[in-house]
Amino acid sequence: MSQTCVEVRSEWSIVAARQAGRAVAKEIGFGSVDQARITTAISELARNIYLYAKVGEICIEKVVDANKVGVKVSASDDGPGIKDLRRVMEDGYTTSGGLGAGLPGVKRLMDEFFIDSKEGEGTKIHAVKWLR
Amino acid sequence: MKPSVTKLIETKREIIIEDWLNKVEEVRREHHLENISDHVYTNTNKEFVEIILSAVGHGQELCDEQLSQFTERLIQVGWPLSYLTRGLQTFRKVILDTLFEDGIDGKRNFEIYYEVEDWVDQIVNTLVNEYSGSWENTIFLQKMALKELSAPLIPVFEHISVMPLIGTIDTERAKLIMENLLNGVIEHRSQVVLIDITGVPVVDTMVANHIIQASEAVRLVGADCILVGIRPEIAQTIVNLGIDLSQFPTKSTLKKGIASALEMTKKTIVKLEN
Amino acid sequence: MRIPILKLKEYLLVSVQIELDDQTALQFQEDILNKIHEEGSRGVVIDLTSVDFIDSFIAKVLGDVVDMSNLMGAKVVLTGIQPAVAITLVDMGILMHGVPTALDLEQGLEKLQLELEG
Repeated sequence: MSQTCVEVRSEWSIVAARQAGRAVAKEIGFGSVDQARITTAISELARNIYLYAKVGEICIEKVVDANKVGVKVSASDDGPGIKDLRRVMEDGYTTSGGLGAGLPGVKRLMDEFFIDSKEGEGTKIHAVKWLR
Repeated sequence: MKPSVTKLIETKREIIIEDWLNKVEEVRREHHLENISDHVYTNTNKEFVEIILSAVGHGQELCDEQLSQFTERLIQVGWPLSYLTRGLQTFRKVILDTLFEDGIDGKRNFEIYYEVEDWVDQIVNTLVNEYSGSWENTIFLQKMALKELSAPLIPVFEHISVMPLIGTIDTERAKLIMENLLNGVIEHRSQVVLIDITGVPVVDTMVANHIIQASEAVRLVGADCILVGIRPEIAQTIVNLGIDLSQFPTKSTLKKGIASALEMTKKTIVKLEN
Repeated sequence: MRIPILKLKEYLLVSVQIELDDQTALQFQEDILNKIHEEGSRGVVIDLTSVDFIDSFIAKVLGDVVDMSNLMGAKVVLTGIQPAVAITLVDMGILMHGVPTALDLEQGLEKLQLELEG
């Protein structure tokens, strides 16, 4: 399975990451609504890396399970990590002055969502959207 | 099946058939199949027996094929599966009774018992597979049919559209409704959309949430939503569940909803003088 | 990259035709406020027909533009938000309450006129 990765270093890479994501989603055959969901989720994840870890990576790949296909988005960084995982998943909780819709939003936009973060070691997130 | 058992059944064939047909008559009454004509009924039963007994002579494979054709016909006519399985149970009893009548020794009786048991089980498996396959197929078709009847957006006046919702709303349907709704709003350039829930039997928190989300999305694309068709019992459940619908306008009937939609789009209905 | 802002009598018209990155969005926020100040505009229509996604950052910028413009005495209407974008926003829980919307530029202008007269 081919994997597209985008290194996140600047605000421009946020654009690059979501364009890459949209291309993959389109290729797999997602409709316009799901394309928007996937693109938006990638944008949120990439912006989190840029805002909090400065440097990291977004990878997008096609995944195949028993009888369904989907797209998997992985975000990883070696940044400061998340202190209180439960709070960042609450709606409206923000440390950046944003809307606080980022991570809980990504969870709602995608079908599967996993987050692993240790303070001082970095954050790994992956999320999957299945083609229905 | 062992040749000895096969031979035994073959010799007793006529007695087995007659006995079984008599006993299965009781099962027929229990299953309210009296409205099927005697002629059809007797023929069907005979055919069933023939097919089952042919398995003895010709082996399982041929029997499976005949059996699946036979069950397919029964499924179409609507014979219940339980009638067939009960019939088979009776059939097994009859066979064993008949075979044991001769008073053969215990060890052989066990052998016969296991052979017959095995044989009936395989037939039951085939029957159940056929029936459940047809049920799955029916469910699939009904699902498709349900999808087709899902939520059209109907333009009623310039800039005013109605979406009547009928039946239970699950997550999958809610997604479809949302997409139809938004695309329809843009296609018809609707400024006001009336969502009519007269035909929705139950409005629980999940359904209400789907409706709220749909109306929020409608607002974002640039139109307004009015929820109409709220029956007294629905109003009660909504408030009892603590669902907050105060954010968007609701009306008890489609008629009242259309009246306020006309008002919102600065229209009025005038009676012509002649 | 800059988003062009057109003046039509006492209104400003903006059609976002490019993919919004963060810098462009912030630059746009600044430009539109300056323009409102220069022209003394009473209303702004921002058309998003060509925008195929809005994430929480862009939603925040747009919401801020609406609030800031209101402070300066200009009403803002967002138009042409696509179904896919609207569904995504609702999924994310971003409802943009208090932001007026309309189907397209034409209806957006009508809405502005109504709000300013009424």
